[in-house]
Amino acid sequence: MPTYEYRGQLISISDADSEYKGYFEAASAHRLVVKKCSDCGLLRGEPGPGCPWCTSLAWEWQEVSGKGIIYSYQIVAHTVIPSFRDWAPFPIVLVELDEQRGQPDPGDGLRITANLVDADMEPEREENVAIGKRVEVVFFDGEDGFSLPQFRLTGEVPENEVWTHQA
Amino acid sequence: MVASNLRDKYCIVGVGETEYSRGSGRTTRALGAEAIRNAMNDAGLKPQDIDGMLSYHGGDSTPSTAIQYDLGLRPNFYMDCSGGGSSTEALVGLAMGAIEAGMADTVAIFRSMNGYSQIRIGGTGVRAAAPISGPDLMKRPYGLISAVQNFAFTFTRHMMEYGVTSEDLAHIKVAHSNHASNNPKALMKQRVSVEDVLNSRWIIRPCAHLLDCCLETDNATCVIVTSAERARDLKQKPVYIMGVQGRGTKPGGDFHYQHGPITRVAGHYIAPRVFDLAGVTHDDVDVTGCYDAFTYTVLLQFEDYGWCEKGEGKDYVRSGTINLGGRRPNNTSGGHLCEGYTHGMNMVIENVRQLRGTVDDYCPLAAEGIHTHDYSEGHCRQVRDAEISMNMGWGTPAVGSSLIMRR
Ligand SMILES: [Zn+2]
Repeated sequence: MPTYEYRGQLISISDADSEYKGYFEAASAHRLVVKKCSDCGLLRGEPGPGCPWCTSLAWEWQEVSGKGIIYSYQIVAHTVIPSFRDWAPFPIVLVELDEQRGQPDPGDGLRITANLVDADMEPEREENVAIGKRVEVVFFDGEDGFSLPQFRLTGEVPENEVWTHQA
Repeated sequence: MVASNLRDKYCIVGVGETEYSRGSGRTTRALGAEAIRNAMNDAGLKPQDIDGMLSYHGGDSTPSTAIQYDLGLRPNFYMDCSGGGSSTEALVGLAMGAIEAGMADTVAIFRSMNGYSQIRIGGTGVRAAAPISGPDLMKRPYGLISAVQNFAFTFTRHMMEYGVTSEDLAHIKVAHSNHASNNPKALMKQRVSVEDVLNSRWIIRPCAHLLDCCLETDNATCVIVTSAERARDLKQKPVYIMGVQGRGTKPGGDFHYQHGPITRVAGHYIAPRVFDLAGVTHDDVDVTGCYDAFTYTVLLQFEDYGWCEKGEGKDYVRSGTINLGGRRPNNTSGGHLCEGYTHGMNMVIENVRQLRGTVDDYCPLAAEGIHTHDYSEGHCRQVRDAEISMNMGWGTPAVGSSLIMRR
């Protein structure tokens, strides 16, 4: 069972982990993947074993563009994880990928949690975090082949007006 | 509306708790035994009368089969369920089911935890030290571990969609703190102002200051369920269970944020069912217990249980409705924000006492049901003529429970 250390936390990905092992193997190759149903063809943002729309248990990994928007966010002012204290305040974003947005139901999307990072893989400044801003995946390469998908701002013009809590 | 054929057939006949503290200096076994014993004494029940036990835990409690020894009980039925917030109401329903099935006659439901001094709910210590695997791989590597963080994407998105401000949320804490100032048991009895909340340090921007968060607490709590028939012979005025739902979910469960709207919580699905079972409407309810792990959980549930329109929760919590003296006071004990965090049971206990008319406030004759209804600091918290109560338990945005009771 491969075990990694990242920011002082132990990460343990079992060989039998049929949900997340392939996700992190792809990340090590700098590919962002989601599961695609082999029967109905729909993608799902959470890499579970079954298709939420047709119950099929047949799936394959599908690479996605890694581009999307910030759908929601949180700025962690106080962290309970000691090894994250030097990062605080830092942003965690819920990214909605461009693929399959609003499908099959209007409120659906492929949504992935990550930190919003800058060019140096450090936390993006709080004043730059806003719902609706365009982002793209980047990969943080740790030791022993562990890579973590992260997102950074692209600077592209957002489709809709952006929202932030700051005045 | 079609009321359930089990409506009013079962009652809560005993309630009990330990002290709410930050450092009990005792085991969850000792706490659990005390809470159950207090509830038995409250009901006037002897060990041989309790033949069912139910509890919920997150790997942080003591099993029923240990505590049965400590009180000389011999359950014909017990289950120790995995669960947190919103389990209390669900287990009240399961107790009814167990009695209805003939598995037991009288069931003690308990929750025991050293939620401050041992396994902290906030994600520190033991929980943060465990290696990361499974679904946590998508969260903890990013520094996302605590309960408020797990809910924060829903909260922030709701702020964006409906223009909720920190000041709106602060009104919930202010109301609950006013209530707690009339509760001798409350961990935090001090009344706070909107400014106090806004000036407390940030935990998660933009949705949670420190005073928007509940109080991690050491405590145990217990309620006892039996049939209305048996309840008639017991010490207290029975409190009748009109309808119960739990734990109900929204689409996606743990991965609910993959589906929209992420600002909708499980109460949206639970509300019509529980009101139908109870055969009552919102207008019939005199007092509510709305799970306040954070101020935001209260606001979201008020909206999705239909106390106001979606997006109008911010006005509802400012309207005075939820304050003592208002139309429908909420969390009159101070709830999780002020009395102490119990994973929901203290709000059910409080409503049982409200319906009995014997809330344990500072009124000298409270135990006899004589109250001043002076809601200023250090006085009364008994709701005048409380007939029907409703609890709204919260597990996550995707999980909730509800319980409607009458006197
Ligand atoms: Zn499918």
